[in-house]
Amino acid sequence: MNKIRAVFAKTGRAKYISHLDLNRCMQRAFKRSGLPVWYTEGFNPHIYITFALPLSLGYESGCEIMDFNLTEEVPEERILSALNGAMPEGLRILKVYTPSTKHTDIAFAEYEIVFSGEPEAVSKSFQSFMESDRISVMKKTKRGGVKEIDLKPDTEVISLGIRNGSFTAVLRLPAGNEKNINPSLLTDEFIGQTNIGAEVESVRRTGILSSSGEDFF
Amino acid sequence: MLREKIEKLLLKVQKPARYIGGESGSIVKDRENISVRFAFCFPDTYDIGMSHLGMKILYSLINEREDYWCERVFAPGLDFEELMRENDIPLYALESLDPIKDFDFVGFTMQYELSYTNVLNMLDLAGIPVLAKDRDDSLSCIVVAGGPCVCNPEPLADFFDIFILGEGEEVNLELMDLYKEMKAQGASKSAFLKAAAKIDGIYVPSLYSVSYNEDGTVQSVTALDGLNKRVKKRIIKDFDSVYYPDNFVVPFTDIVHNRASVEVLRGCIRGCRFCQAGFIYRPFREKSASNVCRQAVELCSNTGYEEMSLASLSTSDHSQIGDILTGLIPYTEKEHINLSLPSLRVDNFSKELMDEIKKVRKSGLTFAPEAGTQRLRDVINKNVTEEELMRTCTTAFKGGYTGVKLYFMMGLPTETDDDIRGITELAQRVVDLFYSLPDRPKGKGVQISISTATFVPKPFTPFEFEPQATREEIMHKQQVLMDSITSRKIKASWHDPSTSILEAVLARGDRRVGQAVYRAWRKGCKFDSWSEHFKFDMWSEAFSECGLDMAFYASRRRSFDEIMPWDHLDYYVSKEFLVRENKKAKNAETTPHCRSKCSGCGVSREIGGACFE
Repeated sequence: MNKIRAVFAKTGRAKYISHLDLNRCMQRAFKRSGLPVWYTEGFNPHIYITFALPLSLGYESGCEIMDFNLTEEVPEERILSALNGAMPEGLRILKVYTPSTKHTDIAFAEYEIVFSGEPEAVSKSFQSFMESDRISVMKKTKRGGVKEIDLKPDTEVISLGIRNGSFTAVLRLPAGNEKNINPSLLTDEFIGQTNIGAEVESVRRTGILSSSGEDFF
Repeated sequence: MLREKIEKLLLKVQKPARYIGGESGSIVKDRENISVRFAFCFPDTYDIGMSHLGMKILYSLINEREDYWCERVFAPGLDFEELMRENDIPLYALESLDPIKDFDFVGFTMQYELSYTNVLNMLDLAGIPVLAKDRDDSLSCIVVAGGPCVCNPEPLADFFDIFILGEGEEVNLELMDLYKEMKAQGASKSAFLKAAAKIDGIYVPSLYSVSYNEDGTVQSVTALDGLNKRVKKRIIKDFDSVYYPDNFVVPFTDIVHNRASVEVLRGCIRGCRFCQAGFIYRPFREKSASNVCRQAVELCSNTGYEEMSLASLSTSDHSQIGDILTGLIPYTEKEHINLSLPSLRVDNFSKELMDEIKKVRKSGLTFAPEAGTQRLRDVINKNVTEEELMRTCTTAFKGGYTGVKLYFMMGLPTETDDDIRGITELAQRVVDLFYSLPDRPKGKGVQISISTATFVPKPFTPFEFEPQATREEIMHKQQVLMDSITSRKIKASWHDPSTSILEAVLARGDRRVGQAVYRAWRKGCKFDSWSEHFKFDMWSEAFSECGLDMAFYASRRRSFDEIMPWDHLDYYVSKEFLVRENKKAKNAETTPHCRSKCSGCGVSREIGGACFE
């Protein structure tokens, strides 16, 4: 059995595919590809696919990761072309390779967030927002409750600037099994606090990093 | 750009993937190279409409033509509709995201009566005048409808330019070809409609006028000069070689029937007297086992579906069902594809079929005896005996099933309280059967679910003359049923008869009923088939405001010589046959299925020879 990791982009119309639907969509794409994929054994066999990090509905990404197994050796270029031939609009496999890391090594993700509104003003208020001592928000816990957390220590600003006439922030946030922070927690708080008519226009995941800060893939 | 406006709103609504297209198998063409654009509209939500096989066939068929482009359109959910109206987003098609008001054809498939208000709502949302007479005479945006409900399209006559009767594979393209030709000549819409009305299967309601008797029944339907008095439905003569798609649009979200399906036969040999589909889709035609298998493999490999079904009104009636299964099972097993066989009959349910069904791991088994006593089953010509039901249930129980769902109708012609109690008695005998089997599944009790629906008399059936049971009668029957159930192993469920009453009114309504449909929609009726949205009070108000009586359409007995609102439409089945079958029903006389003996329904005369060799 050959373990394979694929890095794929999810853009355009495909950003409206929910995580649950993405799994089903990939199952069918694999089937269409004709590749010798490995099925789970048991009462209800299905193609074994695991996704490293769920992506929120509506976010684009240039770095999604999924792992699967092939029952025979297939050259990487052929896997790539077979899969891309079977993908719907907006899903694109960028590379495939034999993985050497585990999904649990993931520690951070980076997001490029584009805001609407007057860019200079949004930029100014975002900077002062990020300079506050504490950014307290209520986060849903896995058990269904809510707890208050401080986003400040976990949010790293990679860059801020005005691109194509819109204020754009690139942020690094904890991601993965241990601790996962969705950028909407931060942006909702920002929008709620500042009240300057800014809204999030788009979010794009631009990187997935391991705990050492290196690219995960 | 419409797309940007749409995308701004999508994250605010439920299941946005339904509103943006882009699915595998969806067909996007370059607008510049297209001569005729067709918006194929299903008047319900994406989840329901995308499950519909007819749409998949016609979508692919039209798109085979390089310069024609067919796109899909569904009714948005209430949340998205509200945002669309607030933000001036007209109803658009999923492939191009262009407004459908700019299309050449806006075509609806009418699968059930309770979707009529959705048509009005979708036209309105598209910015197309809802009433045909309010639309201008330029040759564009022709509003057409097809599907089973157009066998009596009269309640919809005010809203449509054209009805397409019968099977669409040939006539849809003929209609589009004519449009393309006349558009190039700069013809008007009215000239086009007159020319179109000469094509077999095309009914242009504005070219037929209706007059009424004093008692409210139809006096006559008059065709404009030069048109046929009766419009004939279209059928595909050579069903085995008719076009069938080798790919489907594969949705991202889960829909009602999310699978590849191959249509294995059309029509039905059975002649159950309540069943409209059994008459309007005649004659019975089969696809050869080899074609079914080839199409199934193509579809599965192109869509990547993990489930496939063999679709038809009664799949186990296919004369080569054994060959089909033998041909498919090695493939489906190798490819991990589940085979599902809907519409099984009680009388030919074998262990082999059951083993196939069990693999799909879906809910339990459902059988439809339709009536509780043999007498009443003979009345409706549901040629299923209790013995057969018991044999089938024995197979099921021995195969490990501990529950069976039994489906019945209430309010059938000649039905008495004894027939209703017969439902419970039948269910009880199935319970007793379970405990009499030494090799029944151990450790679990048996559960029999009885599901009842209110009978709706439909056009082109032997019961088209029959009154529907009134609300009071249905309530009484439900009470009799509940009182007769004494075992906890039997559970019964039923629906409020209101939707069935409206269904009966719309199914056999005349052209005047259109006003009530219009008013009901203006009062806010839509998604009438969804119990949470159904507003019977609004409908009642709408009818009385139009001076129309729902009971006149639903629960009045019609004489054999009354002119029905649909009598000028020819669905091949003759009136004489329907009358003959009605009389036989009253005597509880059965009619054998078409394969064993021709019942002389009139279809063979139309197709120029016997249906079976």
